[in-house]
Amino acid sequence: MDINKALKEEHIYEAGTFDVAVIGAGHAGCEAAHAAAQLGLKTVLFTLHLDAVANLPCNPSVGGTAKGQLVREIDALGGIMGKVADRCAIQMRMLNRSKGPAVFSPRAQMDRADYSVVMKELLENTPNLTLRQAHIKDILTENGAVAGVKTEAGGIYRAKAIVLSSGTYMEARTIRGEVIVESGPDGLPRSEGLSSCLKEEGIPLLRFKTGTPVRVNSRSVDFSAMEIQNGEDDIPPFSFDEEMKGYKVMPVSDQIPCHSIWTTEETRQVIKDNMDRSPLYSGVITGTGPRYCPSIEDKFMRFADKERHLIFVEPMGRRTNELYLQGFSTSLPEEVQEKMVRSLPGLKDAVIQRSAYAIEYDLIDPTSLKLSLESKILSGLFSAGQVNGSSGYEEAAGQGIIAGINAAMKVLGKDPVIIYRADGYIGVLIDDLVTKGTNEPYRMMTSRAEYRLFLRQDNADRRLTPIGYKAGLVDEERYNRFCEKLKMIEDETARLGSTYVAPSDELASYLEPLGQTPPKSGVSLAELIKRPGVTYEGLKIIDKDREELPDYVTKSVEVDLKYEGYLALEMAKIEKFRQLESKALPSDIDYDDVKGLRIEARQKLSKMRPENIGRASRISGVSPADCEVLLVYLEALRRKNNE
Amino acid sequence: MFAACSTPAGISGIAVIRISGNGCIELLDSYVRTVRAAGGKKSLKELSGYESLYGIINDPATNETIDDVMVTVFRSPHSYTGEDMAEISCHGSLAVKQELLRLLFSAGVEPALPGQFSRTAFINGKMTLDEAEAVMDVINSDSSKALRAGRKIMSGALARRIDTAESALYEAMALIEMMVEFPEHDDTSVNEEKVKSLMKGAKDELQKLSDSYSMGRLLSERIKIALIGIPNSGKSTLANALSGTDRSIVTDIPGTTRDAIESNIAVRGIPVTLIDTAGITSTDDVVEKIGVERSREAFSSSDMAFILIPPEMTLEEMKDRIDIPESGVYKVLVFSKSDIGDNPDEMRITEYAGSKGIDKIIHVSGKDFSNIEEMEDAIEGFYNASGSGSSEGLLITNGRHMTLIERAIGYIGMAQAAINDGMGVETCSSVLRSALDEMGQITGKTVSADLADTIFGRFCIGK
Repeated sequence: MDINKALKEEHIYEAGTFDVAVIGAGHAGCEAAHAAAQLGLKTVLFTLHLDAVANLPCNPSVGGTAKGQLVREIDALGGIMGKVADRCAIQMRMLNRSKGPAVFSPRAQMDRADYSVVMKELLENTPNLTLRQAHIKDILTENGAVAGVKTEAGGIYRAKAIVLSSGTYMEARTIRGEVIVESGPDGLPRSEGLSSCLKEEGIPLLRFKTGTPVRVNSRSVDFSAMEIQNGEDDIPPFSFDEEMKGYKVMPVSDQIPCHSIWTTEETRQVIKDNMDRSPLYSGVITGTGPRYCPSIEDKFMRFADKERHLIFVEPMGRRTNELYLQGFSTSLPEEVQEKMVRSLPGLKDAVIQRSAYAIEYDLIDPTSLKLSLESKILSGLFSAGQVNGSSGYEEAAGQGIIAGINAAMKVLGKDPVIIYRADGYIGVLIDDLVTKGTNEPYRMMTSRAEYRLFLRQDNADRRLTPIGYKAGLVDEERYNRFCEKLKMIEDETARLGSTYVAPSDELASYLEPLGQTPPKSGVSLAELIKRPGVTYEGLKIIDKDREELPDYVTKSVEVDLKYEGYLALEMAKIEKFRQLESKALPSDIDYDDVKGLRIEARQKLSKMRPENIGRASRISGVSPADCEVLLVYLEALRRKNNE
Repeated sequence: MFAACSTPAGISGIAVIRISGNGCIELLDSYVRTVRAAGGKKSLKELSGYESLYGIINDPATNETIDDVMVTVFRSPHSYTGEDMAEISCHGSLAVKQELLRLLFSAGVEPALPGQFSRTAFINGKMTLDEAEAVMDVINSDSSKALRAGRKIMSGALARRIDTAESALYEAMALIEMMVEFPEHDDTSVNEEKVKSLMKGAKDELQKLSDSYSMGRLLSERIKIALIGIPNSGKSTLANALSGTDRSIVTDIPGTTRDAIESNIAVRGIPVTLIDTAGITSTDDVVEKIGVERSREAFSSSDMAFILIPPEMTLEEMKDRIDIPESGVYKVLVFSKSDIGDNPDEMRITEYAGSKGIDKIIHVSGKDFSNIEEMEDAIEGFYNASGSGSSEGLLITNGRHMTLIERAIGYIGMAQAAINDGMGVETCSSVLRSALDEMGQITGKTVSADLADTIFGRFCIGK
């Protein structure tokens, strides 16, 4: 609604003037608000409920494959998710340890209640940031740009930029069998009115579905029927800065274990007998659900040949008995849920504390966004998180920090900060969402990244901290620490390259058990590290006088050297990618005017209006030849403008 | 750097290979042994723009001479593309052109993309603004030509093999992604073995392809054309008409041509091996039986086949006596002896032929050679469609395919090494992507950006 019109309504008052207003204090909203405030902008963060800031309504965990990389990237940029997660972790693991370092993925179980409290406290102590519990009913505009928001209580908050991070709350309803309730997740109120306001602005909306499993009381659980899964005690923190400052690992004995179980034949039977009551199959649910996080009934239906499915039993905190049944989300009726849970090993007498549900919600079609996460339709409106079609806390936070930075840049009149596909998972995530769109909640996976060897969790700071520093989110002190780390990596890499060792019995006795032929003449330490099985640590026997360096330095040195050849191959691809990405396409280009484009390409380009040739090339229907044509067109345009 | 043969396809006296890109003169210099150069200069590097030298190009792998050539050097910006350029004038045999291009491609030079010379020239300001539109038109028309050519070639055995290799690599990558993405569901040792065997399968398949090229059939770049028909349908007459010689005994006694007779001829400058066969038919005559068997072989090893239907042949007779194999061969139905009269059953035969995958239908007389041009057109059309007649030439298309396949094999080898050396499955997967990128340049497919989606349709996974 136009702000001047809103001001004339009854029971309205001017509640304040801000640079940036963030709607929703989930994982996207918290990062966005923190980033904007850190950049010196007067920021307000709205939430429907202050006790649910950074709520973890589903998995009580942060990280995992691809998600762990995202958390490290957010931290490298100067975000907060990693720091909060480090403080609230109750169990830590490094996934994929048996594979290569590119896919090592940190994951930690969270104390869910702590997480919310710690985040809230951090935000409360962030300068320039105001937290406000309020129900936002309308986004106000003036002259085609955002001008503020209106609360249910009649407050008008003026703002120059808005970040919408409303998660799964917009016009949400939860579903358990035949029972449908207008509600947000976790019994929280839903957000009403924003959808119609977005529609009025001409912003295209979609409707998705997701879900969550039941929670049970651990007192009613027999753990002896389950397989225990302990944490690990050598995991570095998510936060690079904490890692550099020095950290204490939590011994396994202080960590809380998870457990795993398999579904039984009885589980399958219960589900089969009650499928007619599933809202997914009866047609009650119309939203599109995530394929990568399907409900248990979905798994049994779609993969009928699989007799059983794996379920993880995860603790929800230190001061609660609640357990989360990962992999067991469902939208079947409550009474069926009870039978299903009790069919599981060790859960025969389980007491359910919260039931599972599916939730449907409105979201913005992300193809209506720019790479900066600003709407192409309404100037000054940014959006991030599940409202953009993603799934997961980490995906939300990754967008949140970018939306927050760019909302600030917009107000400051500066160029947006863009993370490209070759820079990080955050870049892949945003590029995928806004270029290709999505027809289901988008989950990050490492296979979505074409430069996976380069986009590792261990080098996220090397990729992104300079960007965070340039944007102003990483402070001088931290940046200096980072530069010291870089210097150490460089020096040690150079030293290994120039330190030659002569053949010796010691070297032979190290290499032979690894199946390596000992060298017959002098060889550099760097060359030795490249051999299969040889490690930096192992070479210590012939490199006795070396300086003790921190793990985060030696690990990086080792990976860089060991994977040099493979990385070079990937870097060559990245170089090509960057060249195309740097060829900007003017936003007012008339594609009908570009001779030589095929018709399909012309239509797609007119609709999507990509920012550069690289993005154009990823639109289905645009061929390499069409991109060549565009390159020629760009050159012709440049010359015309010069004339 | 990119290169292509700029003279028309087919055998000619001399041919010109152009190479563009800064540094290309230095690169070429390492392959050319100078015999005599302008102003007594010793090497290519020393030449100024527009100067030439006479030299010998050796294959460094075998140290055998490929050809003696004239190389002209153009220095940036005074060249067609505005970059450093060199033009190699070599002898016009197909083998020489192909070997030279293979040499360049293996040295890291890229096969020129459709319209790349013109586009580069334009970008570097060597063409006026007025020419921009023409350049843009050329890019897409050349590229659709190349794609069509690719598809033609891709309709045969090459396509099947590349498909097989591609599917195996995708399956290997799917397994790797499952291991990486869902470690808790992972059964690494079993899956890793599967990945290894899939990679080996793909590599073997591609190696077979690569071998078939090097063995020489395609190196000679002759089109093999089979003439197929029942005895006395006019095959030999047509063969003679096309080749201008009397290679077969032409009589009115059916079955005169008992053996598959091969003759190398040139049709409009296009090298053709014509296989004049006995008809494919059921017979009790022992001698004829051998001939028939050979005909079948001839058919299956051909690139193109003319199936002759004389005026008196009915559809039933055709079904009974001519066996049209299902294969990637480009098949042309020829209503022969049109000088004697039309085939009353033509409509039905045409309809039936369509259902058997016939690509083209023509009418031709064996006696007065009326419409013999139509057959020549068909041959030229096929040759062009195979890539030769498009602006960059068939040699490139094939030499290019060879190069791409060899590179893909190299990457698969690297991926195998990665997994054997314990570098992690994701490293293996990254290199496999490169292999698929190379193969995609033949098939026109790009490596699926939505790999994840392809994969997870197949597995039951969830967090």
